[in-house]
Amino acid sequence: MAIIELVGLAKAYRVYQKQEGLLASVRGLFHRQYRTVEAVRGIDLQVEQGEFVAFLGPNGAGKTTTLKLLSGVITPSGGTARVMGHVPWKRENAYRRRFALVMGQKNQLWWDLPAQESFRLHQQIYLIDPARFERTRDELVELLGVANLLKQPVRELSLGERMKMELIAALLHSPEVLFLDEPTIGLDVIAQHNIQAFLRHYQQLRRITILLTSHYMKDVAALCKRVVIIAQGRIIYDGSLSGIIDRFSHHKVITLLFPGDDRMPSDLARYGEVVEEFAPKVKLRVPRKNVPDVLAGILARHAIEDVSVEDPPLEEVIAEMFSLAGEAQTGDGEVDRVAERVT
Amino acid sequence: MAHDVVQAVAHDFGSAAGGLESMSEHPSYLRVFLTFARNSLVRDMTFRTNFLVDVVASLTWVSMQLAFYLLIFAFAPSIGSDWGKYEFLVFLATTLLANSLVGAFFMPNLSEFSELIRTGHLDFALLKPIDTQFLVSFQRIEWSTLANFVFALCLLAFALVHLENPPQAIQWVLFIVYVGCGVAMLYSLMIALSSASVWMGRNQNLYDFWFYITNFSRYPMEIYEGPIGTPLRRAFTFVVPILVVVNVPARMLAQPLSAQNWPLAGFAILATAGSLLGSRWMFVRALASYRSASS
Repeated sequence: MAIIELVGLAKAYRVYQKQEGLLASVRGLFHRQYRTVEAVRGIDLQVEQGEFVAFLGPNGAGKTTTLKLLSGVITPSGGTARVMGHVPWKRENAYRRRFALVMGQKNQLWWDLPAQESFRLHQQIYLIDPARFERTRDELVELLGVANLLKQPVRELSLGERMKMELIAALLHSPEVLFLDEPTIGLDVIAQHNIQAFLRHYQQLRRITILLTSHYMKDVAALCKRVVIIAQGRIIYDGSLSGIIDRFSHHKVITLLFPGDDRMPSDLARYGEVVEEFAPKVKLRVPRKNVPDVLAGILARHAIEDVSVEDPPLEEVIAEMFSLAGEAQTGDGEVDRVAERVT
Repeated sequence: MAHDVVQAVAHDFGSAAGGLESMSEHPSYLRVFLTFARNSLVRDMTFRTNFLVDVVASLTWVSMQLAFYLLIFAFAPSIGSDWGKYEFLVFLATTLLANSLVGAFFMPNLSEFSELIRTGHLDFALLKPIDTQFLVSFQRIEWSTLANFVFALCLLAFALVHLENPPQAIQWVLFIVYVGCGVAMLYSLMIALSSASVWMGRNQNLYDFWFYITNFSRYPMEIYEGPIGTPLRRAFTFVVPILVVVNVPARMLAQPLSAQNWPLAGFAILATAGSLLGSRWMFVRALASYRSASS
């Protein structure tokens, strides 16, 4: 049975439309114009216990809204959701003790106090047995290598150190489900890597279920086997990371190395789009179905020292999907058609 | 949606009522409160100069208030027929007691609550397995404001020594109960107002509102007479019952007990219960309408 189950989950906001200028502002005092923004438009999703799922999507796609709905922070305007058998927005304590939400852009620790003071407060709020609390805290502190920072006020920690403390605070009560909203945002490469390594280790150790949103493809590639892509409030892909390229990349990249600068032909554009050219090396973007013919033609006509055929970078494929979905802001029908094209 | 709200209200009322009974389901609210108090003290001690400046500033303000009233009593023997100099000092001490309790425990939290709503940081409070109203109401304590509380106790002791009729034990009990009621009424007003931030988007009027309200409640209700005074007295007694906050407990302690006081004293109990329930209802409604903020 799925640990997270969403059926037709939707969230619409009414947003005040402020017109430009003083007169319009005065008019706005008496007559306001609102626009309905459909942040999430009927999502169906099932997640099994122990899965590590990535939520990808452009800004404003509905990723964070979905996590907030699943955390019970906001109430939906339609559809249903059950997490471990609980309806999140009923905000039952029995549910709130079983999950955690970490937001990369929001801080829940007491700013002026050392993190250990906030941890102690969590122990009391989550009713954690003192012996278990100390064991869990020490284990997390060791895994994240922050033992020497526990007595330092949070405001004096670096962003990466603060995020580690946020993770400890979120995991002290041993949640079964963890929602991570861009946990590595703003972190340098080393800090990102440390957080990734920790999350991978912790998830394998505890077999907890994790939903992660991130804009860093490295986070996703390092951690998640399953990827859900959301755009315009709809799920447009649900499958493996590698499956994205298989299904949505209509091109391959052919890299050719010629024996010398002077041996590189000038009419390479006839074989495909030249995406990079540093003589004697060139990269061509070629429709997938044309690859055999193009390769045969090049090899027959030119002397080649080395050749490789690769998929385009994942970021590029996903960016293409996002822009495809982004072009469909004109109406629901358009979004549906885009969803059909990419699923 | 309306059904959901009703369910949420029922659920929250239920969890609040059961909060102190079932240890397996709810944390120890007292222990959490004491940790809040401890953390706030640690934080205040970290910024000790700021703490001392706060103490000096608030003590200066209450000393000026005391000096102002002493100046009045240099020219007039009493305010109304009941409030001689020392009776009125009991009244003033009661005002300071109620205000300092609200200022120490609720003011920092409830003005912060409006900000939590606006910035979306209320998200974290909603995740915790503890009553959200408790969490947002008691999270921080302004220890420096308790200097006013000590000042008020000293003033009260000084005034009582000079009273012709020192209060009986029963008057002390009633005084403590009614100061508690007054604080509860002020708290209810404040949390209802800050809850409105959910619908208003921006609500930074809490300190202004507090100033206006305490301006009315810090005088004996007998002064509100005449074509303007009487409607004001009725409005601030029965609609927004802030005149009850200080007047009832101060009268209990400073004046001999009289049957004339009981209707207002009974009303104060009802007003307290009504305020607490009404503000709880509004708080729960506000949480149901909370829409967070972009992250």
